[in-house]
Amino acid sequence: MTEHVEAKSATLADELLGVVQAVEGVSAVYPAQPLWQSVAGAAVAAVTGEQLPLISLTEQDGTLAIKARIGVGSPLPAPKVAREAAAAIRRHLGNVPAVVEVLVAKIEA
Amino acid sequence: MKTPGDALECGHSLAELSAYLDTGEIADPAHLDSCPECQAGLASLRRLSELGNELLTADVAEAGSGGDDWMQTILDNLRLELRPGRSIPLRAEDPQDTLWETEGSVSALIRSVADSFPGTAAGKCRLLGDITEPGAGITVDVEIAVVYGHAMEERAAALRNELAKMLQVQTELDIQAINITVTDVLELPAPAMTPNTEDQP
Repeated sequence: MTEHVEAKSATLADELLGVVQAVEGVSAVYPAQPLWQSVAGAAVAAVTGEQLPLISLTEQDGTLAIKARIGVGSPLPAPKVAREAAAAIRRHLGNVPAVVEVLVAKIEA
Repeated sequence: MKTPGDALECGHSLAELSAYLDTGEIADPAHLDSCPECQAGLASLRRLSELGNELLTADVAEAGSGGDDWMQTILDNLRLELRPGRSIPLRAEDPQDTLWETEGSVSALIRSVADSFPGTAAGKCRLLGDITEPGAGITVDVEIAVVYGHAMEERAAALRNELAKMLQVQTELDIQAINITVTDVLELPAPAMTPNTEDQP
């Protein structure tokens, strides 16, 4: 991936973070790829202090793969909030081919 | 001694989280904002601490089931259940989407509901059955410790109803049964005995 594409990807990840955080019922967005599961990411973070984007973005064969790990904290049902988060991501992407994964890691009563 | 079994997946241990609650200090405080398992652990430890304070206030700490075996059992289960566990699939509107809840998020929710009942602490919380298969029948097993003085059958029935409502709203699991087992009754101390001088030599 070129530097230009990396920068574009980071921008899109930031935009999608805002999109997911704005979904009613989303109380938190956690790192999609926990640092302890990513040796490279942990090493970079330890050296630079930089955090990986909370929303994970990868691209393969022209299809974007987006992963978000969220906390839900409202009377709204967690499954509904997860569906709405995925739908909000799709609305933001428009016609861009994408597969979206949303993982609910915390549900507050 | 810290063993691999003591650590959550993020590498922190319940002992470290407990120390953080006591002192406010932990090596990487920013991590707590980004780790749902540590957050669930802290919430459970806070509620356990509140129950401990309730017991101390009632002066029953040395009564009933005696030492802190019940609390150790709860901590042992907590250690296991704070892990993300299996992924529970959710229905998606777009066929290209995959949506999940972690088993750990549901266990933590069950625990928080049980702990919200006065004088009650959740022990083991288990989802039995293939939760990774949509529509599979699931049984929920919950063990609780109850402070003496709370009607156990009523408590269990109320908790079962509350859990059924909550799981229906917050998951898409097909719950077939919710089993509540009271494993510990934390008894009030016996009244202080007045010395009976007649029996004394």
